[in-house]
Amino acid sequence: MKSARLTPLALLASAAMLAGVFAIFFVMPDAEPPHGIVYRIIFIHVPSAWIAYLAFAVVLVGSIAHLRNGSKKMDWLAHASAEVGVLFTAICLVTGMVWAKPLWGAFWVWEPRLTLTFVLLLIYLGYLVFRAMGGDQERTSRIAAVIGITGFATIPLIHFAVDWYRGHHPGRAVIRPGGDFQLEPEMVATLFAMVAVFTVLYATLLALRIRLAGTAAQLEALR
Amino acid sequence: MKKVLLLAYKDLRSDARSKEIVPAMAVFSLCLTFLFSITLPDGAGRAPLPVPVAGAASVRELAGTYLWVSIFFASIIGFGRTAASDSQGSRIEGLLLTTVDPAQIFFGRVAANFVFLCLVEVALMPFFILFLSVPASLLWPELLLIALLTNAGLAATGSLFGAASQFARAKDLVLPLLMFPIMLPVVLGASRLTSQLMSFGSVGPEARWFILIGVFDIVLLGIGAVTYEFVVQE
Repeated sequence: MKSARLTPLALLASAAMLAGVFAIFFVMPDAEPPHGIVYRIIFIHVPSAWIAYLAFAVVLVGSIAHLRNGSKKMDWLAHASAEVGVLFTAICLVTGMVWAKPLWGAFWVWEPRLTLTFVLLLIYLGYLVFRAMGGDQERTSRIAAVIGITGFATIPLIHFAVDWYRGHHPGRAVIRPGGDFQLEPEMVATLFAMVAVFTVLYATLLALRIRLAGTAAQLEALR
Repeated sequence: MKKVLLLAYKDLRSDARSKEIVPAMAVFSLCLTFLFSITLPDGAGRAPLPVPVAGAASVRELAGTYLWVSIFFASIIGFGRTAASDSQGSRIEGLLLTTVDPAQIFFGRVAANFVFLCLVEVALMPFFILFLSVPASLLWPELLLIALLTNAGLAATGSLFGAASQFARAKDLVLPLLMFPIMLPVVLGASRLTSQLMSFGSVGPEARWFILIGVFDIVLLGIGAVTYEFVVQE
């Protein structure tokens, strides 16, 4: 019964993604050089970044709720969101690297936003490793919630730190991510549409993952 | 406050009695400082400033990073150990049965870890100055403030995550994974401030890092005070 409820959401996400990818490759015109066809990656890159932040905010909300009332569902929500968030952070980093190569001449530069995203990946990978290594389930969930809260609370501080640390770097002057790149109105519209599509995809993956956690808990109880 | 001091005193005494934490941390950080300094070019610490080659990092800039990376690694070892001794013999569970607030237990542990870090730094400093040819006169007194703020942040994070890591299967693996990304602002800040101090004799415009590290300390102490009970609760 639960799977019947999820199917429309999954179908919607798939259809929207197909339409989005079609629009990116067949409707959008090429940009001015040097962006050419490469710029199309922003339609994946930017929504991934948005989902990453959204997912980690959801981890925070789920963690606080779990600590307040011990709700198992909130714990599953936080765990599921961390997994999906790590996935989208990785997608964001990889697509960013692909875009950076033709634009900045290197796959990786220590640009503050890139660094912050990478540190986010490390924080939530640590969170997932801890969950995977936990012993007692209830206690692991509680401690994971503490890690989820601490991780999110330090994001602004890490943001300032990486910005200041590399702030005086000479490389900074030539690296202006997106600064000299103007989007046409139809590109902006497509970008927003892709953000919506990715949000539906995120919701679908989240719902599927939470359902899986519920099933796993049922199985554990039966044993 | 009195309870916190008493708890800190208890932690200090019981950890000092085992005689393993501070010596191990100090020797470990000394090993790292030795390794870092031996891999530098000869006499690099006395290199003229500003750096003659554009784009090349001065050794003094690196020295600040080396110092704090050494101390950060040593702190991971030490805090894992202090947390393990807390969880042995159900010490914290015993304390939780008394009228002591979990936040007080946390602050007591932070205070003890803070003192350990200070001791390690006192032991390491002469070697750091000696090996890396750091002009000691440039460091005083700003380095004291850097160390106090950084130690508070390291101790707060280490006490919270140290306790948290005790309930994972691979404790020693989990603690650095959890601590490293969170500690980034403090380690970056301390190394930038120290490098600035050694290169120019004053922290100058980099003083803003003091605020960032201070805010970090307050945030982590606050989170620890509120959430420590969830970490140590049965």
